[in-house]
Amino acid sequence: MIEGIILHGILSSCTFALLASGFTLSYGVSGIINLTHGAFFMIGTYFYSILLDVFSISIPAEFSILSLILPVIASTILTGIVASIYYRLTLHQILGDELATLVVSISGCIVFQQMIYLIFGSLWGMQLPVPELLSGNITIWNVSISYSRVLAAVTSFCLFVALWLLIATTKTGKAMKALSQDHEAAMLMGISTEKMYMLTAAISAGLSSIAGVMIVSSTTRVGSAIMWLQPLAISFAIVVLGGLGSLKGTLVGGLIFGFSRTIVELTVPLGGAIVDAVPFLILLCVLVVRPKGLFGKRVEMED
Amino acid sequence: MVVKYLRKAYTNFATYIYDIPPRMLALLLIMIFALLPMTRALDSSTLMMLRDASVMAILAASWDLLVGRTGQMSLGHALFIGIGGYSSALLFMHFGWPVWMVIPVSMLAGAVVALLIGLPCLRVKGSYLALLTLAFPLLLERAVYYFRDVTKAEEGIPPPPRLPAFFQGLIRLDARIAEYYLTLSLMVISAIILYKIANSKRGMVFVSILDDELASKACGINVTNYKLLAFVISGLFASLSGCVAVYISSFANPSFFGIRWSVLPLVVTIFGGIGTIYGPIVGTYIYYFLDMYVFRKIINISEWHYFGLTWEYATFLIFILIVIIFILKWPRGIARAVVEKLEDLEEARPIEELEQKMAKAD
Repeated sequence: MIEGIILHGILSSCTFALLASGFTLSYGVSGIINLTHGAFFMIGTYFYSILLDVFSISIPAEFSILSLILPVIASTILTGIVASIYYRLTLHQILGDELATLVVSISGCIVFQQMIYLIFGSLWGMQLPVPELLSGNITIWNVSISYSRVLAAVTSFCLFVALWLLIATTKTGKAMKALSQDHEAAMLMGISTEKMYMLTAAISAGLSSIAGVMIVSSTTRVGSAIMWLQPLAISFAIVVLGGLGSLKGTLVGGLIFGFSRTIVELTVPLGGAIVDAVPFLILLCVLVVRPKGLFGKRVEMED
Repeated sequence: MVVKYLRKAYTNFATYIYDIPPRMLALLLIMIFALLPMTRALDSSTLMMLRDASVMAILAASWDLLVGRTGQMSLGHALFIGIGGYSSALLFMHFGWPVWMVIPVSMLAGAVVALLIGLPCLRVKGSYLALLTLAFPLLLERAVYYFRDVTKAEEGIPPPPRLPAFFQGLIRLDARIAEYYLTLSLMVISAIILYKIANSKRGMVFVSILDDELASKACGINVTNYKLLAFVISGLFASLSGCVAVYISSFANPSFFGIRWSVLPLVVTIFGGIGTIYGPIVGTYIYYFLDMYVFRKIINISEWHYFGLTWEYATFLIFILIVIIFILKWPRGIARAVVEKLEDLEEARPIEELEQKMAKAD
């Protein structure tokens, strides 16, 4: 039991931390709480499962590994493009107005949800099959874990490190940090706010989309049009746990969340039915005990 | 050209109609609505539309008291719809209580729940509050699935007797018309109560919290208590709406906690104008009217099959897009935007004339 909790906990934490890192990035850089983040998880997975069909027809069988990897990359890029266009059209115009941002971004989620309904029609039509990225199981400490979950965790961790490197070392990352520290001073230094914010929106949506692909390829199907709500709640819970705008905090929050979710799933009777309620319970507890989050609110973007 | 006529119409409206006290105007509207079924001009689908609109109007008005008046952003009013619906359905199923006992008790349940969730919610503000309130209906929805012995999960709780049956005995009416009158009267009563509360001394305190929380605190107002009061009043009426909704739809299922009911008050408030109580009510009727006549009757959207899409769902999509566009352009609601636009034009007219005269003189 303990081994199961530890292994599943670590594996799921990585993916959840990746999911939340986009959310925290977008808050850290542009200072907006972009609730549409959850919707990009959803449309990323839908792009992925549609592109899978497209690529599996057009790519010859001997390169079958390509027909799995290319859709991941393509869907990430597509989601990023959609996200940056969406950001430029809506949220960029109301920067600084918290209530309007909130209402517009939640409406954005509903827009994407209705689009999914519009395209796929019925509840059954919405459920698309997604293959596992890797088949087979591995047994560690008498716990059987599928390869695709390990792959998901490893990929997520690598991407998390890559994001950290991007912010800590590259010029773009420095520009992002500068924007989060002092918006106007950064503009005076010749950083284009609009471009950087659009890039941030694209990166954060892309990360959300990859996390989505990783999660759906271990559950092997794309679910429903309400899929934005759960990831949104998860990323918000993690970000609140770790403090908004801090990548380290996000990793810690992801670990706490991943473990508590795994513990509920494996120990509570009928845990599968209430596992979706875990992020909300965590959110509730944290906000009631410490309204500013577990590690306090940090407005600046940190490494 | 169109603007000119609109402006003329508005000037007439403003001079003649604004002089009538709003009380009379409301009375006139209520009388028109009360006499509508007598004319036999309404078919049963219109009656059903008006009935649903009345139920949702209660929800929208109660949402407006909390959000538009007190400034506590709530994205979770579906919670109260669910609480009202489930408590009345459960009370009926397990204890067989009659309608006139169920409604007050489920309203009370809504108020208690509002008090309970108000306590943690008051510690946070802005986006945090919105997210937290968004979470509650989902928690309760999960709870419905978890305790499936009691709640029957997806199946829903079997229908309680239709509400009008109780009234039909008193006044011999068609079921649809009885429902229409019942929902209309409940809507009118709760709208009057909410309007009175919003414009009372306490209501002014709500507005002061919206305007500047710190300043109202400095004036010696117990902000926490007043916020809780707003939560409780809002929850009370929102759960009335849920309770009536379960009686007219005669089923309580997890969709009562759906995100749609949380977003709908927002949409209709954008149509009608925020912070006025009557604005969202008018907005609800406009919303249902557009939904029914424009999308279903005139362009008949559910029959469309272009590009293999399910166009039925485009209705809500269009409404939400309208909301986004209006928040970006006119954040205070469509009705007020139009009125302000017309008033601006009216003020601008003398200057235009002056300019024209000066141009002629030159």
